[in-house]
Amino acid sequence: MDTEYKEKENVSNRNSSFNYKELVFRLLALSLTLVAAVVLGVDKQTTTVSLTLVPSLPPVDLPVTAKWTDLSAFVYLVIVNASACAYAAISLVLLLVTRGGNKLVSLILLMLDLMMVVLLFSAIGATGSVGLIGYQGNSHVQWEKVCNVFDKFCHQVAIAVFLSFAGSITYLLLILLAAVTLHNK
Amino acid sequence: MASLDTTAPPHVTTEKPPKSVQQQYKGSWGPALDAALRMFLFATAMVAVIIMAASKQTKLISLFPGFAIPLEAKFTQSPAFIYAIAALSVACLYSIITGVLSVFALMKPGGSWTKLQFHFVIFDALLLGIVAAATGAAGGVAYIGLKGNSHTNWNKVCDQFSSFCSHLAGSIVLSLVSSITLLLLVWLSIYVLSKKLTRG
Repeated sequence: MDTEYKEKENVSNRNSSFNYKELVFRLLALSLTLVAAVVLGVDKQTTTVSLTLVPSLPPVDLPVTAKWTDLSAFVYLVIVNASACAYAAISLVLLLVTRGGNKLVSLILLMLDLMMVVLLFSAIGATGSVGLIGYQGNSHVQWEKVCNVFDKFCHQVAIAVFLSFAGSITYLLLILLAAVTLHNK
Repeated sequence: MASLDTTAPPHVTTEKPPKSVQQQYKGSWGPALDAALRMFLFATAMVAVIIMAASKQTKLISLFPGFAIPLEAKFTQSPAFIYAIAALSVACLYSIITGVLSVFALMKPGGSWTKLQFHFVIFDALLLGIVAAATGAAGGVAYIGLKGNSHTNWNKVCDQFSSFCSHLAGSIVLSLVSSITLLLLVWLSIYVLSKKLTRG
């Protein structure tokens, strides 16, 4: 075991490009999921809609507010992005402490990366489908679209979905990188 | 291994783990478990597609006494369910192809099992993303159908179309099982790759 560890240390100079790539991808995943969580987490818009109660009277302006906690799919996306961000931070610390030399740690990190891919993709699917109903409405069940009123709110949701999609692609690339490394060894 | 040995110091290259007996033993359950999981994936994805495709429900809504109009609930009325059907069908087809490949690898001793696993990791992870997104999309829309949303004035529909909604629920649970199966498959492939079970 001792000699094997020394071999790892010696080889780590040659393998430094792989560690470097993994570091960059993890930093990218950290920042993308953090920004996605923040963008959706601060999403709030208040506008006024004019409502005509009685035709003879002038229309009444009512303030309406849309918040990210209104829809459970958005809450799910924020929670998943926050946990993916926290996991990226922990994995970065582990990677820097072990310098990619510990086999067990890198195997566990790889398996947890895959969990993050699953969670992020399911959250993207949920938010995307609910956001699509908000954007287009659904005439079959009388769900009216809301994005014509809350335009800024909807744009912010779309940006958050795109950012967390990029984050999940980064996690997929991490898995691809690890598979290539394992295969070439 | 050969590329590593050229750069490593000579005193460590002599150490090689003598595990040829272990390899022969462990190499047998890896492909078998892989093939079994792929069959399970095929079954769950197939049943999920069938249940969701058969979820049509027609109901007579009486506007006033003596006059009623039929209302229909179908999976094609929401893009999320169409996407879920497409993704699960892809998973079904993919599991047939890879299952056959896995069974061939099981019959042929030795050979290109790790190479196959390397390709499986990449495509399984991609399909895992697709199926997980389909589960999330169908689940998100079905949750609004079940509970409704007071902020956006989206009324719940599952009190009207109970059979339609229970079909959808079954299908979503099965697609969740499919994605967990895919997760286990990728974990198995990663484990096999990291242990280099059948590589001489």
